[in-house]
Amino acid sequence: MDSNTQDSVVVRHRDLERYANAALKAGRIMMESGASVSVVHRGITMIAKGFGVETVGLRSGYASIAMTLRAEETTITRMLHLGRLGVNHRLDLAVRELCARAETGGMSVEAVEAELTRLVRETPRHAPWFTAVAVGLACASFGRLLGIDWLSFGPVLLGGTLGQYLRHHLLHRGVNIFLVAGAIAFFAATVGGLGSLALQSTTVHLAMMASILLLVPGVPATNAQADIMDGYPTMGSARAVWVLMIMVFAAVGVWFAEALLGIRG
Amino acid sequence: MESLLPFVPHLAHQALFGALAAAGFGVLFNFGLKALPWCAAAGALALAVRTIGQDLAWSLEGATFAAAIVTSCSVSALRRALGPACNAVALAGCIPMVPGAFFGQALLGFFAVTAPHPADAVETFVMASEHIIRVIFTLGAIGAGLVIPAQLLKNQDF
Repeated sequence: MDSNTQDSVVVRHRDLERYANAALKAGRIMMESGASVSVVHRGITMIAKGFGVETVGLRSGYASIAMTLRAEETTITRMLHLGRLGVNHRLDLAVRELCARAETGGMSVEAVEAELTRLVRETPRHAPWFTAVAVGLACASFGRLLGIDWLSFGPVLLGGTLGQYLRHHLLHRGVNIFLVAGAIAFFAATVGGLGSLALQSTTVHLAMMASILLLVPGVPATNAQADIMDGYPTMGSARAVWVLMIMVFAAVGVWFAEALLGIRG
Repeated sequence: MESLLPFVPHLAHQALFGALAAAGFGVLFNFGLKALPWCAAAGALALAVRTIGQDLAWSLEGATFAAAIVTSCSVSALRRALGPACNAVALAGCIPMVPGAFFGQALLGFFAVTAPHPADAVETFVMASEHIIRVIFTLGAIGAGLVIPAQLLKNQDF
């Protein structure tokens, strides 16, 4: 037998590493599903404590989470890379439930990892066409709240729907999210604007703006503030800059659409 | 009472489209079908309160803050039914109040100011600045309005 496997320090290190990896995976899923940093940190801590870890230290950045675990005089630090931060409420909620179960101490590392894998694989998502129609309806509703006339309602609905459908496929193919924001803003604003012009709406400019509201990152914007208020100003600032960049690209897309349709001089 | 009657259709219009916008974004955020009516109800409540506030001549930011507070408190009262989802439902309800159009118009205004020979540069700059200030204050109002009740009422996250 390898002497390393008999060394109790090495064994404890390996156990801690497995605990860290499982807890960090749960944290990564929550972060990528739209949870705030304080929720992610609590979830990770709950899982680690459930494994019997004594102390947990955490640091979250926009692209990674790092944690330090300590148990029985042994300490390790591990870091996990984060993917694109989006919003997936059902997956976020399911992982939170898993954190609460794991905290009670009745789950092994293997069970937690298997459950995480299952949740990622099996948590349902709405069909892309259904999401696209819902988002189109949301954009048109936003438009009514902004003051578009009824003639623009249909074109905004169409622009938002097609824009969301296209965005889904572009992001699925791994296209840069900022380029997608610019391209979708141009496309959706052009569709919404052209339709409104064709129907002789008097609110063409508002209709073009309403058509791109699917791109406004409302959850990251409020998460940015929540993170700062919870004592994580670095992450909050990073989210705020990300929101600003998305909006700059979206505004550029609208600017080009307005130039194409001759709405802005 | 009679003076309120003309206001009712406008209030109903705002609440209806607030509900549709919140539910639509709820689908994008992958809320389950059972949670979507709650998102819609929260959106309707938020827009109704904001509309009433603006009708009382409150500023957009003040009315938005009141709407976010009322929505967050109302959803917190339902936390037994909603569980850890209650904060997310309140957030979805407030999404229709996110000033995305102001944000876009502010940026387009700043683009216009940086053109080689901008027309009405001062007026455009002032308007764009006003829009961006409103965006910051309105987002702040939504965030604070959502967080304060959730913290004080100790809504569960897990």
